[in-house]
Amino acid sequence: MKKYTVINTPVHNIDGIAKITGRAKYTFDITLPRMLHGKILRSSYPHAEILNIDTSKAERLKGVKAVLTGKDTLGLKQGIWRRFKELCDEEILARDKVRYIGEPVATVAAIDEDTAEEALDLIEVEYKPLPGVFEPLEAIKEGAPQLHEQAERNINVTRHIEWGDVDDGFQKADYVREDWFRCSSQAHVCMETHCAVADYTPEGKLTVYTSTQSHYYIKVLLAEILGLRENDVRVISRYTGGGFGSKFELDSAQFCSSLLSMKLCQPVKIVLSREEEFTATKRRTPMFYYVRSGVKKDGTFLAKEARVFTEGGAYTAMGATALYLTGFFQSFPYVWPSYRYDGYRVYTNTAPTSAMRGFGAPQATFCAETQIDLIADELGIDPIEIRRKNAMYPGYEVPGQATIQSCGLDQCLDKIDGWIKSRGELPRHRGIGIAAYGFMSGGIFNWFDTPYAFSSAVIQINIDGKVDLFVGSQDMGQGSNTTMAMICAEELGVKFEDIRLHMGDTENCPVDLGAWGSRETLMQGNAVKMAASKAKQQILEFATAKLSPNIVYDLDIKDGWIHLIARPERGLSYYDVVKEAIRGKEGQPIIARGHYTPHRKGMISPAYSFGVQAVEADVDPETGKITLKNCVTAHDCGQVINPLGVKGQLEGAMAMAAGYGFTEDLPMDEGKILNPNLVDYMLLRATEMPETEVMEVETYEPEGPFGAKEAGEGLTNPTAGALSNAVFHATGISIKNLPITPEKVFNALKEKKKK
Amino acid sequence: MIHNFNYRRATSVEETLGLLEKCKEDYKIICGGQSLLILMRQGLVAPENLIDIKSVKEMSYIDYDPKNGLKIGAATIHREIEKSPLIKKYYPVLVEMEKNLASVQTRNWGTIGGNLAHGDPAGDPGPILIASNATVKMASLERERILPLEDFFIDIFETALEEGELLTEIQLPILPKKTAVAYEKFSIIKNQQGIVSVAVSITIDEDAVKCKDARIVLGAAAAIPLRAKEAEQMLIGKKIDTKLLASVGKKASEESDPVSDIHATETYRRFLVKTLTTKVAKKAWELAKAAN
Ligand SMILES: Cc1cc2nc3c(=O)[nH]c(=O)nc-3n(C[C@H](O)[C@H](O)[C@H](O)COP(=O)(O)OP(=O)(O)OC[C@H]3O[C@@H](n4cnc5c(N)ncnc54)[C@H](O)[C@@H]3O)c2cc1C
Repeated sequence: MKKYTVINTPVHNIDGIAKITGRAKYTFDITLPRMLHGKILRSSYPHAEILNIDTSKAERLKGVKAVLTGKDTLGLKQGIWRRFKELCDEEILARDKVRYIGEPVATVAAIDEDTAEEALDLIEVEYKPLPGVFEPLEAIKEGAPQLHEQAERNINVTRHIEWGDVDDGFQKADYVREDWFRCSSQAHVCMETHCAVADYTPEGKLTVYTSTQSHYYIKVLLAEILGLRENDVRVISRYTGGGFGSKFELDSAQFCSSLLSMKLCQPVKIVLSREEEFTATKRRTPMFYYVRSGVKKDGTFLAKEARVFTEGGAYTAMGATALYLTGFFQSFPYVWPSYRYDGYRVYTNTAPTSAMRGFGAPQATFCAETQIDLIADELGIDPIEIRRKNAMYPGYEVPGQATIQSCGLDQCLDKIDGWIKSRGELPRHRGIGIAAYGFMSGGIFNWFDTPYAFSSAVIQINIDGKVDLFVGSQDMGQGSNTTMAMICAEELGVKFEDIRLHMGDTENCPVDLGAWGSRETLMQGNAVKMAASKAKQQILEFATAKLSPNIVYDLDIKDGWIHLIARPERGLSYYDVVKEAIRGKEGQPIIARGHYTPHRKGMISPAYSFGVQAVEADVDPETGKITLKNCVTAHDCGQVINPLGVKGQLEGAMAMAAGYGFTEDLPMDEGKILNPNLVDYMLLRATEMPETEVMEVETYEPEGPFGAKEAGEGLTNPTAGALSNAVFHATGISIKNLPITPEKVFNALKEKKKK
Repeated sequence: MIHNFNYRRATSVEETLGLLEKCKEDYKIICGGQSLLILMRQGLVAPENLIDIKSVKEMSYIDYDPKNGLKIGAATIHREIEKSPLIKKYYPVLVEMEKNLASVQTRNWGTIGGNLAHGDPAGDPGPILIASNATVKMASLERERILPLEDFFIDIFETALEEGELLTEIQLPILPKKTAVAYEKFSIIKNQQGIVSVAVSITIDEDAVKCKDARIVLGAAAAIPLRAKEAEQMLIGKKIDTKLLASVGKKASEESDPVSDIHATETYRRFLVKTLTTKVAKKAWELAKAAN
């Protein structure tokens, strides 16, 4: 018998047909009886005191049902790092002060969108403008305008990571190199903008349909800020049109629609416009990085020191996590005998920065991998070799931080090495750059302060053998529904089609922390596997009576066939046994639960993915224009669950990460984003995509379900670095300031010629 | 958010002109909507009346005759131009230009007339058409007039179209003997508005030795598609070589008047004008030598 019957077969998305036939109802599609439409008035000042808000004219406009401001809230500051009250610093509807352009100050519900929009113009806000500060390196200076009372010199969070004797390491180094890097911002650009339909009924229950990566977080955060009990709030998010890190914090659409609905006892819908999406939701954290590395002549890494100042924007959001992760992944995926990291997250009068796919790691990887190639070049060592020499390996312990169990980095380097050699001699002005990377499979630290297991699942097996699987995980397009159904089917020994998946509703799904930090496959996967395994045990109890094996452990189920492991031809139909078993249980379906919370797995994550990416690009020596040719990735995500899913993640990540590397940016003028639309914000399109290829390196991760680990965010980490190295090898210049635009390359080439 | 407006659809030129007169105070013509809707969405344009000419069939055509050349109805979509065998045969540079103009979806909606009437100096068709000596036909209830396209562009987003006037046709004369037009745009990603673009038409003399006539038109390098006339003069009557082409590029760059914005600085744009002009002029020269 084959080892697996479901896992590692290419499976199309379980909800694919509903999506392509247009039956999938996104929040955007929801309409309820008596539903009103809400809009949000946002600050046009980057920093100002609110002296007065006069809503009377707006209230008098025909069709307007309610106009609310910060005065109508409980006045609580909220944040997602609930364990640390000082990091909960955002009111969502500002009461006294606005700190960025786009911050909500009032919200309106009206009979239609046009009326609501018109009403916004009638709200009179009296501001007292305050001096603003927009760059972290300015904001941290003595005497700079201060955003929050408690944050002197605008320092919001600091992080320190250290191991080994760094100073001694530098002493012993034959070669020391230091560089400054600037990593730009990036917008998530989900196809579905942030939106919510809130429905509060006189019984005191609030139901919110919304587009989110974590219905559980939104339920808890909403209950808290609205003064409701946790289970008086129900959050439903059956389909989510993209997340990428932008949708697991409480947002203005969810909060304002709820507030309005509670006031009116009528459903209220708020959908952010594309412009609001760009200017008034969170974004990738810009970082100013100083990196210093000391190595031996032969390329052995000895000591590394990194310091980063990140542009926090006006509020904390998930910034504390990004600050830790960027520091940790700055050392990744290598063995640094000594390492010291100091991170400062600095408040600025700009839109808050937070989680975005890769979560601080793409920035770190860009700096680290660019510098490694510069070092290798200086020492005359091949880029593959210097990485191989210092690569992490199975069993390696990052001092005080993490234990690496599975690690296929070495095999990934082999594959990429082979691919580079197969390319032969490159034409002039073309280069191949590589970058090695890794990422976590879900986080360990309980900053949200949840009393629940990190993931849980419930299984019910019905009379016809069909399985109802209830998960708390959120599918936002990444395919976790399919992955969970596959894990369930494999463990239970049934067909993929036997699984009916239930998700996206806090009322009947168990708690899971949501789809962020690449946690679902490992964490929700483990919970599903546990539930399936327990359900299977119940079925095998009945089967044992019929098949009388030596002991029950000799039985298993595969592909609907309950059999003796030693003699697979001897067995019974799963469907028949289930029927009888349920009858025998007085008609009660078979039910089992599973859960997972990581214990004693270090500071970061229970498991890490690894990989190496090669980007081949042409650089026009005259204009600096970059053309992507090939992008090849050797990837270790442990046991692949769904090859199609991994491919989808890789291609999507590639488009997003290459965009980060060379076209996407959010330029600002005094806190105002200058390109808040899809014409000026340059996303890569299909015509721009290079040939992409993924080469799987299979390892077995003991902590993951069937040996699986993450394959979601990690893939966004290497591309900017690999691209910068490709440009370096094509031209001899190194751009340390993202994005790598033609003009920057052009200027650097000009500089080089002068020398 | 798009403000409310009265929507009117016309089905003939006559009906359109009547509506323009009727809504004289405050109207906007919409054809494919590919440029206008962006402005309306951002609240930059909020017309009281929107007059839709997409269904004016008589304004969508591509005609060619060997005496008068090419006539394109203003409401002809980009995709039609891209796919037209006539245009491929007689004005192949237009086909190449269309292939890199926006995405297929936009080309299926956007029209050549809308593109020109929008008056965006970064538009692709403008420079090529000016280099090819195109004229445009405009109609109002009172009159019909024809203008060289070069005089049609007044300022950024401003054209010679007057109130009550409709752009109806784009006319391209037969290219003189031994003439070729070349075009290139520089954009960071394909199918995107250019950061800078250059069109050059070159006519060479009978003996294929010297340049007899030349037109150089720069896109996104000034408030309007700009003719680099001094650079043109440097070519006319000369034998073209690499050195001359380099100085022509330099001259065009001096004549250009680009701005700095989030996509590129003025300096970089000037540099691009220089290299692109040199490159495109060379291409036009070579094509012209091979032409009949
Ligand atoms: C995503 C995107 C990418 C694009 N990329 C490019 C590109 O690479 N290169 C490029 O050149 N363009 C590009 N464009 C612009 C677009 O191709 C053109 O502007 C389009 O051809 C406009 O035609 P339309 O029929 O849609 O005009 P509309 O949007 O309907 O109208 C545009 C303007 O012209 C006026 N108008 C339209 N028809 C007439 C008429 N017959 N008489 C008088 N006035 C009229 C309207 O009142 C309006 O002011 C892009 C557009 C989009 C949305």
